Amino acid sequence: MARRDAVGRLALYGACAPVLAFLLLPSLVIVPMALTKGQMIQFPPIWISVHSFTDYLGDPQWFDSTVLSFQVAALAVAIGCVTGSAAAVALHGRRFPGKGLVTGAIMAPIVVPLVVFALGGYLVFARLHMVGGWVAIGLLHGMLVTPYVFISVQTSLQAALNPLLVRSARSLGAGRLSVLRHVVWPAIRPGVLAGGVLGFAVSFDEVVVALFLQGPQTVTLPVRMFTAIQFELTPKVAASASLFLALSVLVLLAQGVAMRRRGAA
Amino acid sequence: MAAHTIRTFAVLRSPAWLLLPVGLLYGALALLPIGVILRLGLTDGGAPLRSVLRSPLLLRAAENTVVISLLTTIFAVLLGALLAVAVWRAGPALRSLLWACILLPFWTGVLIKNFAWASLLQDNGVVNALLLGLGLTDHPLTLLHTRFAVIVGMVHYVLPYAVFPIFTALRAIDPLLERAARSLGAAPRWVVWWVILPLIVPGISNAALLVFIVSCGFFITPVILGAPSDMMIANLIDYYVHDVVDFDAAGALSLLILAAIAGLIVAQQVLPREGQHGAA
Amino acid sequence: MNVALPIVSLPAQAEGTPADEVRPRGPVADARHHLEVDRVWKSYTSGVHVVRDVSFSLAQGEFLTLLGPSGSGKTSTLMMVAGFEAPSRGAIRVDGRDVAQLPPERRNFGVVFQGYALFPHMTVLENVAFPLRMKSVGGAARRRAAMDMLDKVGLAEFAARRPRELSGGQQQRVALARALVFEPDALLLDEPLGALDRKLREALQIEIKQIQRRVGVSILFVTHDQDEAMMMSDRVAVMQDGRIVQLGAPDEVYLHPETPFVAGFLGETNLLRGQCVGQQGGCAVVRFADGVTGPARLSRGGARPGVGAAVLASIRPERIGLLARDAAADCVVEGVVADRVFLGRHTRLVVQALGRTLVVSAAEPPAAGVARGAVVRLGWSREDAQILNEGGDATG
Repeated sequence: MARRDAVGRLALYGACAPVLAFLLLPSLVIVPMALTKGQMIQFPPIWISVHSFTDYLGDPQWFDSTVLSFQVAALAVAIGCVTGSAAAVALHGRRFPGKGLVTGAIMAPIVVPLVVFALGGYLVFARLHMVGGWVAIGLLHGMLVTPYVFISVQTSLQAALNPLLVRSARSLGAGRLSVLRHVVWPAIRPGVLAGGVLGFAVSFDEVVVALFLQGPQTVTLPVRMFTAIQFELTPKVAASASLFLALSVLVLLAQGVAMRRRGAA
Repeated sequence: MAAHTIRTFAVLRSPAWLLLPVGLLYGALALLPIGVILRLGLTDGGAPLRSVLRSPLLLRAAENTVVISLLTTIFAVLLGALLAVAVWRAGPALRSLLWACILLPFWTGVLIKNFAWASLLQDNGVVNALLLGLGLTDHPLTLLHTRFAVIVGMVHYVLPYAVFPIFTALRAIDPLLERAARSLGAAPRWVVWWVILPLIVPGISNAALLVFIVSCGFFITPVILGAPSDMMIANLIDYYVHDVVDFDAAGALSLLILAAIAGLIVAQQVLPREGQHGAA
Repeated sequence: MNVALPIVSLPAQAEGTPADEVRPRGPVADARHHLEVDRVWKSYTSGVHVVRDVSFSLAQGEFLTLLGPSGSGKTSTLMMVAGFEAPSRGAIRVDGRDVAQLPPERRNFGVVFQGYALFPHMTVLENVAFPLRMKSVGGAARRRAAMDMLDKVGLAEFAARRPRELSGGQQQRVALARALVFEPDALLLDEPLGALDRKLREALQIEIKQIQRRVGVSILFVTHDQDEAMMMSDRVAVMQDGRIVQLGAPDEVYLHPETPFVAGFLGETNLLRGQCVGQQGGCAVVRFADGVTGPARLSRGGARPGVGAAVLASIRPERIGLLARDAAADCVVEGVVADRVFLGRHTRLVVQALGRTLVVSAAEPPAAGVARGAVVRLGWSREDAQILNEGGDATG
């Protein structure tokens, strides 16, 4: 009886193995590709060398793009954390007809094609003469980051906000703002942090909006990579790709820590 | 946990103005632009809309989008269901490992993933090296810049989106239901057929809808991994904006996409749902 | 709630059931014990034993309860009988045949779980008909048999509803119907009434008992509620730390507990320390504190106490009587009433005697005149003082 279950299990995981390999394969080849000595991307790499990384960081255009991406992402995270957490706290514990619709609307940037937001953003910012500035990209990215922070904070609220604490705070005379500061904020802090890290990666990686809103001085790293990939697959591209990969690993770790913290809560 | 939530409803009434930031941001950057797009697309009584609808480019792009998205959805849902079941059945250690494998590509940017696939599928890339090495072919296959590559890249991207709703549905199933069914004479395969599958149908349909909608909006992947003939709707908008500089047409096209997505979501909400109720 | 159900018999054989499903019912039973659990052990990889050397048999038509606190191994034992877990050691036999290799779906037991486990996506009728579908019974016959069963539990009009539309008690009855409809060899119930409130629980206890008597099905019942066990069972197996520490009829286990654990678990009791000072007609004579001496029934499992040995005796509060001034009893004790609480069916007195407190449960007329501070004479008979086997409790 147990043997039959074991065989079934083996078949299940055996079938999954190729799928998992499919999922992980791309991530696994990037760093080795960057560590090559040659000028062309090939796999397996001929010699190990870090010249691609030095090339990448030494090229002023690529370096500036990297800095710009960080800038934009920082702005996006700042905005997204505020809007996302505020929305999650506001909707938590409230019931009203159409709540599903509101939640769906907040989640829209994940589902609706980015190209629509990119076009719309372009049209609006063009009127404001902000196209080509990094602030415009940052603002729009802020909207893209919001749903991720929203979900993250929502999860913290469900897991870590102790309604009894709220009740006792209120009964001791705390006003709503006080409750927010002393009871709610500590509960959502890990969620905001996790959402922020996530949002940073989302903004840093984003191509379409940055493409539409780019200017001669405002080329984010992904946009530069996008052009490079279409025309010249050099190791420099792989080097900057490694940076992105490091970022995703960071996010994964942050999520893992946040989940463990929530579990302990 | 449910008891906690119900009590919270009575106590934590956060001030409503907390919704202001998100409202302002979305209002300015989503609603306003959509309004502008609406106006653009419907100028002259909808002339741009009509001309776009008659354009052969649209037909091509729409056909590509639907076909590619459909194929992507089918593969992603099948593979996603497999992964979801594996995660559901796994013990705690294996589960964390599986999630890590599923989430790492999820957090990796689309550009990186496409870049990696481009390198893997190019003529002197890993896949061809493997095929040549195993003797399955005697010359490198053209895998890059084909529809095949686009679908590979897209399935890779959307797979986590397919896993989440199906896993959620599986997790909601009362673990005793399986034991009950077996005690009543059902062999394991019948337990799956009569009990588990019916209960996850809503999760599967959610996954399919999500994956399909996300697939329709793809922009980067067709450019990097596909041929010009694989242009999808998002690429067409880019074409109208950057190559032809016809904003009216671009607006009309965006309108179409939004309408189509809204239609799909409404259709899915309206269809009768089963089975999610009664689960512990 | 409809408790009086008509006495009918199940359809003799549903269409399409294989011939080997037909079993004799009622008094014409197999001479061998129907279900036999033989020296079963269960441990998990961590090395912890959750079931130790458990043996019992279930006769045809018998109602046997596994009673114990949580962690005593009773549910694990049930799950092994059902086939969801495999014993680490020992055998489980049905009609003499070892069933260890049989998966749950071939063991022909009806199981009712805590939380009912009704299929949410099927109607009540489809739920009850499900096991017949698994036995390849045709559609019309299946529905008819299921309807009959629903009728028997008084839920025929709910046939087209979904489980979530029913109350807890109704869902429980559907679960019962579903477990009985395919005429199983035995019914296994895992604390099925735990989630219900008191009145509903008591009503369902009666109903389950009635169904059992009518259908003649054997029942293995798991609960932690001693009142429930005593009310429903033909025999009770008291479990502690994975072992059965006593197995017997409810009155036997209640009035003559073997160990301190059993005595304490089945209700309130007074545990008195004393010294054995002799034997007298099958009972030990025990000297308690303050020189009070009286006979006490020997424990069956433990060794006979020698003269001078320390013993522990259990006397139930309701078996201690308030004696009139010149009334006699096997053992008489004098004391002072420290507390008095009227509990409706009886009055609970806490009496200072023998250098400690004794709890006495007295019916009203004798207790009426007794106030706090009053001096009282208490007495009990030798049959009601039970010497306990202190080494018999399972060690952790």
